[in-house]
Formats: sequence, structure tokens, C-alpha cells
Amino acid sequence: MNRRAILGPLAILAVWAADACTSSPGAVPAKSEVQPPSEIVAFKVLYRENCAGCHGEDGKGGAASALANPVLLAIADDSVIRRTTAQGVAGTSMPAFAQSAGGMLTDRQIDSLVEGIRSWANPDALGGIVPPPFRAQTPGDPQRGADVFRTYCSSCHGADGRGGKKASSVVNGSYLALVSEQHLRTIVIAGLPELGAPDWRDDVPGHPMSEQEISDVVAWLSSQRPQFPGQPYPLPADRAEGEHR
Amino acid sequence: MNTENRTSRRTMLVKLGLAFNGIVGACVAVPILRYLLSPVTRERKVGYESWLSLGGLEQFPAGQTRLATYRNPVVNAWDGETDDIACWVRNVDDHTFQVFAVNCAHLGCPVRWFPQSNLFLCPCHGGVYYQDGSRASGPPERGLFQYHYKLEKGQLFIKAGEMPTPGRAAYGQRGGSKCA
Amino acid sequence: MRLIDRLGQWFNLRLPLGDPLQETMKHLVPRKSASWFYVFGSAALTVFLLQVVTGILLALIYVPSAGEAWNSLQTLNQGVSLGWFIRALHGWGSNFMVAIVLLHMVQVFLFGAYKFPRELTWIVGVFLLLMTLAMAFSGQVLRFDQDAYWGLGIGASIASRVPVIGPWSVQLMLGGPIIAGATLTRFFALHVFLIPGLLIAFVGVHLLMVLKLGINEWPMPGRIVRRSSYLQEYRELTHQQGVPFVPDALWKDILFSGFILVLIAGCAAYFGPFGPGGQPDPRIIQTAPRPDFFFLWLYALLSFLPPAAETPIMLLGPAIALTVLLILPLVAGEGEKSWRRRPIAVLSVLLIAVALGTMTRLGEYTPWSPVMNAWSGLPIPPEYLHGATSLERQGALVFQAKQCHNCHSLKGQGGQRGPALDRVALRLTHDQLIRQVIQGGGNMPAYAKNLTPAETTALVAFLETLHPPNQTPAVNASRAVALHIDAQTNSSPIRGDR
Repeated sequence: MNRRAILGPLAILAVWAADACTSSPGAVPAKSEVQPPSEIVAFKVLYRENCAGCHGEDGKGGAASALANPVLLAIADDSVIRRTTAQGVAGTSMPAFAQSAGGMLTDRQIDSLVEGIRSWANPDALGGIVPPPFRAQTPGDPQRGADVFRTYCSSCHGADGRGGKKASSVVNGSYLALVSEQHLRTIVIAGLPELGAPDWRDDVPGHPMSEQEISDVVAWLSSQRPQFPGQPYPLPADRAEGEHR
Repeated sequence: MNTENRTSRRTMLVKLGLAFNGIVGACVAVPILRYLLSPVTRERKVGYESWLSLGGLEQFPAGQTRLATYRNPVVNAWDGETDDIACWVRNVDDHTFQVFAVNCAHLGCPVRWFPQSNLFLCPCHGGVYYQDGSRASGPPERGLFQYHYKLEKGQLFIKAGEMPTPGRAAYGQRGGSKCA
Repeated sequence: MRLIDRLGQWFNLRLPLGDPLQETMKHLVPRKSASWFYVFGSAALTVFLLQVVTGILLALIYVPSAGEAWNSLQTLNQGVSLGWFIRALHGWGSNFMVAIVLLHMVQVFLFGAYKFPRELTWIVGVFLLLMTLAMAFSGQVLRFDQDAYWGLGIGASIASRVPVIGPWSVQLMLGGPIIAGATLTRFFALHVFLIPGLLIAFVGVHLLMVLKLGINEWPMPGRIVRRSSYLQEYRELTHQQGVPFVPDALWKDILFSGFILVLIAGCAAYFGPFGPGGQPDPRIIQTAPRPDFFFLWLYALLSFLPPAAETPIMLLGPAIALTVLLILPLVAGEGEKSWRRRPIAVLSVLLIAVALGTMTRLGEYTPWSPVMNAWSGLPIPPEYLHGATSLERQGALVFQAKQCHNCHSLKGQGGQRGPALDRVALRLTHDQLIRQVIQGGGNMPAYAKNLTPAETTALVAFLETLHPPNQTPAVNASRAVALHIDAQTNSSPIRGDR
């Protein structure tokens, strides 16, 4: 009798312990094995590990231009995003991520990134207005571009582009040396909403920039690139000639 | 027959038995030792290393460093993935190459190449190497290990087959020749 | 009951163990030795038995093949009912075993129990410690994941540095030229047959010595051990104030062992098993190998040794440590036992404990290692970009793209190998920043070849913004003068508009 009184609870305790084990916090859930890095295709993980460092969490707030910008996503189609991600942009800080270009990501992973970035797009962002094309269709004219700059940009960036009260210099030699022409064009069209830079429609409210004006102002900015950018001290006069501020 | 004689005879028999067992033991020990030492003795005969192709040169653009993999020449059927070894290939100018082991010269952890800063970084103890494999900073005593290589029929061949370690590299430098 | 008695007699006649068992149970131990301080040895034995049982259970499923080991571990974790719990018990058991063996050793050392006539008991114990550590390392190898693979690489790299026979010892250790199938089977044989066999034999000898020589008496300050008189004194002590081992001492042993088992089971159920991590595929180089807890101190130590002294210290250090442990009872076999009268012994233990603890702590967060994906995964704190000019934003991009973040932290995020840069502008002037970036130095690689002048200018412009808002950055007063003169003679404008 006595022994049964002990054994009974003991048995219940053992069953309970075995049951508790299966649901205890240490139990290993199914399908939880560590995946090889090349098999990870979840956009959130890929973006967090490869893109967030520069483009910011959720595509904004980083040092590089925000990807979660509806205008940017309206003008840049999937092939542009894919090529930029895979091949990088030579001469800028954007590295190539595809394995075929020396990066660490497979084609499948880059597709996942393209898909995920596209999911930030907002089809109604432009309300039916057709934006200027992503790539320049016509060559720009730097002479005219100077006028365009004065018209559309100088209110913030100053008459000569060296910066004003609302925005900083865009003609700094080192800055221009580090960005591509396409990057300048993209910013002119899509703006930098986080920094308060308007898109092509609102530089002068009610008067959107024309396709030709955009090409011209980019050409002018480009022409401001010095021959020897980034000198900490002034160059001797003979070398500095090619360099404008 | 007195007891002393009996004892000495029995003692002698025991000694004889011991000697017999000693000889048999020695005979058995030789094959056991050779079996145990087979990983070492094998190398003396044929060596573990051989020329292996890393694939066509088009995979390695000039001026870049790329990850390449090869299958180890000496394998067992049950090795699984461990036979596939990675290495870093640097194409200097389409004629000159450098093929680095992924193993850090400090303690063998896998170094990773960062093309943006042109550095190899080791995740274990922070060894850093420049793009030519020379030591930049951290605990390693030397630069990255390099494989011998040759270019044939548009393919890059390296002499590989054994895990590079600091001691082996020192040994190889004394005895072996440095080619290419 | 009568049946049990008769069965007992039947067996005792054929397997006469009854008397020695009785003797063992009833043997007298000094009353003060039946103490809570004397429970670690028996607890180590208990955990060892747990390891044997769980080890056998794991071997029912585990496949010691390089191609299949990782998969069989996944099956144990997920496919077999409570397989994860057995793995967790074995893993936590190994952690506790190392810890308890060390505690046991410290207790024995502080209580002077290694002195005459127990010198050999200590020496056997040192070998037991070595075997425990060997079991810990080989066990980590059997959990054949990336950590195991690269951990073997670390072991091979160390072994290869032995003069003359280094490369051969690596081949012997790996069972071939590379880490592969033969390596795993080799470590399986060590972990499952050779070392456990030796452990059982040595534990038996160790226990036999404790029984035959008697447990160490409670050390009293001033009671000096002398070879000539100790045995007599000990006999008198146990006869005068001895208590039978069972039950006076045993109940504490049993209770503590049970407590440890509950702890292990609790940890196993709560924290679960260790790993396995990623597949042991040498092509996957996106990995940061890390040893198990009990070798973290070594991992940390290896990052601090200066390159030139590393090999000698790596090879001589363990040899010296082992020699000290082995000859300790031979040179200090007599004298004072009580730790109250042995300040150097107490200080040594404290020093070693603090050193091991510090190293382990450092090994947990590896401040010497770059954070490999900080550059692409950790954003620059948004407040550091607030109000930044276009040039400074480009500089922040250069900071990320050139992997600066991998070694330097901002707001506590990123690598800790180099100094944190949150206030770097207070420390370094514009020119000093340029020099540091270009030339490196102080364990930083030189970036001269990897940065264009524009990148350097942008990067330095960004770095100069890194200071608290209420403090002004460091300035080189002579720079303005130099630039001013330069501007006058050359009439070229001052650069670096901000």
C-alpha cells in the first residue's frame, strides 16, 4: 500500500517530466538546422546582412540614397535594380554582390533582393504622371545646365552650387568624384525625400523639370569634376589649373 | 632432483616463454605501427600533392581576386563535403597569378577577401593581409600560404592536396623548391 | 527478505565481493572530512557515469562519417524523440564535468591533499584532468560542424609548429593530408574507445588510492606533514575521531551528486543542445569559428601573444604547466597543509582563476576579431548623419564600403578591434586623420593603395564630424597659417569647403 503510494506519484512525475521535456524551451524545433549562406533566400535576412549597412534598415535612413523612395522605384525597373545589385557601380561605393562579379550572393539571392526592394514601390505615388526616363535619352549641354541649375537648384544649393542655408555643396570636387553621372540624374529626378530634396516636379513648385533640363544640369554638375580631386592642400598653380571649385 | 633445480628450470621456462612472447609481440608491433603511421609514410612514397585544375582562366578576370574550389586529390568515399577545398585566386595581369590558401597563416581559420578595401580579413584572431597576401596586421607571423601554379591550355593548375599549416610551410621552404 | 539474503549468500560464495564492500562502506574517515568540501570528487564520478550512459545512447544514432555525421546530428536533434535532450545532457554534462574536475582540483590543492602519501593520487588526477580536456576537445570534433572543422584546423596549425616532427604530427592527427573522413573516425576512436577506456582505468586506480590511503584529513594550521610520522598520526586521528564512510560521509556525496544531475538536466531542458552549427563544408567561408566554452580562454590567449613569441609560448607553455602540476607533490610533499598558512598557494589559485575568467570573458565577445559583415549589415547611426553635407555622406559611404566598420565601432555597433570612432575628431586633427588612414599603424593596415584622394577627403570629412556637439574637434593651429601663406603666394583658393 505504502509503496504504491510512492510509486504512483513517481510514475506520474516521470511521465510529466518526459512530456515537459518535449515542450521545454530547449527543445529543437523542426527544420531549424543552420542553412548554408548560399541557400538563404529570405529577403529580410539578405537585406539586413548585405544592404542595410549603407541603404539603412527598411530602405531608408542610411548614408546611401534611400531605396524605399516611390519615385526612385517608379523610374528604376527590375533590370536596373538587378544590374546595380549584381554588378555594382564602378567608381562609386556600390560594390558588386553577384558571385559572377566577385561578390558572395547567388543569382537566386539577388532575385530575392530585387523582389523585396520592388515590394516597397507604390504604384500610385506619381498619380498618373509619367516620370522622366531613368537613363538620359539626349546628351546634356553644360552651358545650358548652368542656367538650369540657377533656376531649379540655387534656392537651396546656392547660386554656384557651393551650398546654401538649406543644403550643402554639390560641386565639391571629392563629392563629384565619388558619384556617377547616373547617380546625379537619379537624385535630380527622384529627390532625397529624407533630406528634404524634392523630386523633379517640385524644385520649382508647379513647374516640373523637362527631360532636356535634367540632362543639362547633370552635364553641368559633371563638368565641375576637377582633374585632381581630393587634395588636402592647394595644388601648385600649374597643376591646379584644370580644377574648378 | 632438488627444489633449487626445479625452480631454476621452471624459471628458465618462464623466461623462455616471455622471450617467445616478446619476439611475437615485436613481430605484431611492426604491422601495427606501420598501420598507425600510414598517414605519414604514404607521403614519403608518393606524396599527397598533385596538379589540379581550378578551371578556365576566364573565371578569373585580370586585377581581381576570386574564390575558387577544387576537389582534394586524395579522398575517401565517405568524406562528404570535406573534400571540396576553397582557395583565393588573384589574377595580377593575366600572366601572373597568385593562389592563396583560405587558411590563415596564424591558426588556419578561413580568411575572407574584401575587394573594396583590398584586404583579407580573418574572423578568428583578426589577422589582416594585403591583396598580395603579405601580412598587414594582427597575430600572423607571415603572409598567406600560396600554392604553386601553372597555366596550361587556358586553364589554371595548382599543386595542392594537403592542408597548409605554419609548420609545414616552414618545412617546405627548407626542403622544397619554389616554382612560379 | 529471506530470499534476498539467500541470493546474496549464493553470490558471495561465488563472487566474494561482500567483505571488501563491507570494509569499504564501514571504513573510518576523519569526522571533519565528512564535509561539504569533499563532495567534488564523487560528483565528478557521477557526471562521468552520466557521460558514459548518454554517450552510449548517442552512439545508437550517430554516424561517425564525415559525409553523414552532420545529418545524423540533425536527426538526433529533430527526428528522434527526445534525441535533442540526450544531446543536451551530454553537452551540458561535459561542461559540468570540466568545471567540477577543476573545482575538485582546486579543493585538493588548497587542502594540501596532494602531500605525502597521496602524491601519486594527485599525479593520476592530473592525467585524469588531461583526459577530461581531451574528451572535451574530441567531443567538440564529433559534433562535426563548421566550428569542429575549423577547430581541427586550429589544432593542426598548433601541432604543425612543433619543431621537426610538426608536419608529420599533423598528418597523424588528421589521418591524412586534410581534415576529412579519416580525421573524424580517428577522433571517434579516441573519444569513444581509447580515452574513455583510459579514464575508467585511471579513475579506478584513483579511487583505489583514496580508499587505501584514506581521505585527506581536514587541514589544521600548524599540523605539519612529515614523511616519518604522518601515517601514524593519520591512523590515530581516524581511530580517535573517525566516522564510518557510510552513512556519515556518503549522504553529502549523494546529495551533491543528485543536485548536480538536476542542474545538468535543468540546463539541458532549458537551454537545449549545443549546435550543430553550419555544415562542415570548407567551401563555406562565411563563418567565424569559435571553440566551446572551456577552450575560450585559450582562443583569447592566442590572439594576444606577440607573433615572434607565439610559437615558443604555444609549445612550451603547456609543457611547463604540465611539468609544474606533475612535480608539485614531489617537491612539496611535506609541510603545512592548511591554506591559511599557504598564501602563495592561495594567490596562485586566485591568479589563475582571474586570468582564466578574464580570458574566457574576452573569448565570448572576441574584441580582436573584425565583425565580418558590419560594413554591409550595420548602418551608421542615423544621428551621425543628421545635417551631414553631401561630401560627409559620401565619406560615411566610404567608411562602410571600405570595411572600416568591421574593426571600428560607432555607438557600440561594429568591430572592436580598432578604437571606437564616436569621438575621433576630438583626438585627431584633419592631418592626423589623413595620416592614420593612409599609413595605418597601431595594428591598422595602411589604406594608401585602396583609397583615392577623393575617397580619403570624403572619409576624413565624415570622421571630422564624429564628436559630441558641445565639444570642438581637434585643430592643428599651424595649418591655417600654412594655408594662409600658401594662398597668398599661390593665390589659389583654400580647399575643402565644408
